[in-house]
Amino acid sequence: MHRYIVKRFLLMIPTLLGVAVLVFLLMRVVPGDIVELRYTLEGTGVSDEFLAKERARLGLDKPIVQQFVEWMWGILRLDFGISMWTENPITEEIALRLHLSLQVAIMATLFATLLSVPLGVLAALKQDTWVDYAVRVFSIAGLAMPSFWLGILIILGLLIGFRWLPPMFFTPIWVDPWANLSQLIWPALAVGYRYSAVATRMTRSSMLEVLREDYVRTARAKGLWEQVVVVRHAMKNAMLPVITVLGLEFAFLVGGLVVTEQVFNLNGLGMLFVESIARRDYTMTQALVLLTGFTFIFVNFLVDLLYAWFDPRIRYG
Amino acid sequence: MGATPQETVLPRVGTAPRRLPRWLAAVIWFARKKPLGTAGAVVVLLMGVGAVGAEVLAPYDPLATNYAQMLRPPSVNHWLGTDTFGRDILSRIIYGSRTALLVGFGASFLGATVGGIIGVASAYFGGRVDLVVQRLIDMVMSFPIIVLALAVVAILGSGIVNLTLAIAIPFMPRIARVVRSSALAIRETPYIDAARAMGFGHGRIIFRHMLPNVVAPFLIMITAFVGQAILLEASLSFLGLGVVEPTPAWGLMLRGAAVEFAERAPWMAIFPGLAISAGVFGFNLFGDSLRDALDPKLRTG
Repeated sequence: MHRYIVKRFLLMIPTLLGVAVLVFLLMRVVPGDIVELRYTLEGTGVSDEFLAKERARLGLDKPIVQQFVEWMWGILRLDFGISMWTENPITEEIALRLHLSLQVAIMATLFATLLSVPLGVLAALKQDTWVDYAVRVFSIAGLAMPSFWLGILIILGLLIGFRWLPPMFFTPIWVDPWANLSQLIWPALAVGYRYSAVATRMTRSSMLEVLREDYVRTARAKGLWEQVVVVRHAMKNAMLPVITVLGLEFAFLVGGLVVTEQVFNLNGLGMLFVESIARRDYTMTQALVLLTGFTFIFVNFLVDLLYAWFDPRIRYG
Repeated sequence: MGATPQETVLPRVGTAPRRLPRWLAAVIWFARKKPLGTAGAVVVLLMGVGAVGAEVLAPYDPLATNYAQMLRPPSVNHWLGTDTFGRDILSRIIYGSRTALLVGFGASFLGATVGGIIGVASAYFGGRVDLVVQRLIDMVMSFPIIVLALAVVAILGSGIVNLTLAIAIPFMPRIARVVRSSALAIRETPYIDAARAMGFGHGRIIFRHMLPNVVAPFLIMITAFVGQAILLEASLSFLGLGVVEPTPAWGLMLRGAAVEFAERAPWMAIFPGLAISAGVFGFNLFGDSLRDALDPKLRTG
């Protein structure tokens, strides 16, 4: 097991390095850089000399390889540098928004898990009855409805039904839990619906598969209670793919909430990402991509470990 | 592939007149066996009709502004109401299906083709090439789809063609994965050995011998991704990074004014969203049933 963990862990490094190279090159392929964007688009006559000086100040005049090595060297010392646009430390800028994005992602995951596991199991147990059809329609509808539109509908509902809108400004949960939740619960619901639709489908199909296994029949033949068969025998094995789906969706939510954030006017990581691409803020974009990439790869790693833990064949294979 | 459902089932349609054309028998079989899939197919068909015949079907010019008719609620003249420029929402939705289908099919076809070729080539060459390609796929897949699409739009700029490309790129690694696993099995078959023994080039073996045999997963992937592509198109247009005004597009119709005037004119926010949901719903249902009907082995999720 230890060898497996170490091996899987070390495999993360080349992938992350690849992501770093990819985003670094990609950013420099994008036409226009931050200096050009900031000074020439305003229409004020700025001398080329000044532009060159700005570029030198931001380190954009150095050879690309040197820029990359310096960036990597900083990351190894956990120094992500400063944002080219705001000139504040990147860790500071990200920390603020990470809190918001992480909280919405966690709340949406909780909501999705609590909804999808019971619904999916129920649908599988009552396959081809109206319960099953209702659950399937619920989940197919969830996949089809854009979460940003659901967000608009939620806002509309709150406005028309209660003449009330969620607070516009973010309050950390330890300062005022009520204000915090009354702002973030809505986006969490809006993305959580789609998310639970994905997880419900997975739970249902994985449960259906497991319920047909020989050992489930054996357990029933032994005269075990149906509840014990379902919970201890079937669900335990059916949950692995569901955990994978939940984990991966969570990882995506941390950085991929872009559109929903826009609807609810949340200042999260997604919004920061769109802004920093538009501003050609290289350092910020790179750090954000590395962060989302790392989250995804790390969650993948955890999921693999979980599989190995539950399924010894993988560990020794 | 396509012959199997008809052959196994023809006796079942015995109640219908005997000399039904084969395609009609297949359609009836599909409708009876897959009611949900048929519902999806009907939605898809409706979208198709709307897209092709928009000029005939739409009651108004989707771009015509009419400041005397601003923000009108649904009525006999404007079934779904009008927007802040007095443009007819129904007409804009009908024309919008053209944009949605164009980008939806374009992106999934492009993504499936390029992804399919990458997947087959990776499986065919195997060894080190396969390892490198798979790691590259890992890397690209570690970006959320929407984030990658956003980055591509930032590089290329907005507009329909760039948008299609931006949506196709995140699809490629996902399709390559699935196609690769089908292609791995094909690589081991005797006829590939035979082709190699006859001294055919790599390109010929990949394109002439392997690709035709992954057509089933290829077609299934295309239909499966159209819904997602429509959703992405709507999201990006909503962000203002996709289709640009005044082109009618569903996501674009939800942007800006629809939210600002949500209380006064909720029809502006409701109908385009319904159109997106119905379209994606239709493609997902149809794609699922098609997959079940064409290839029971691929049944997942």
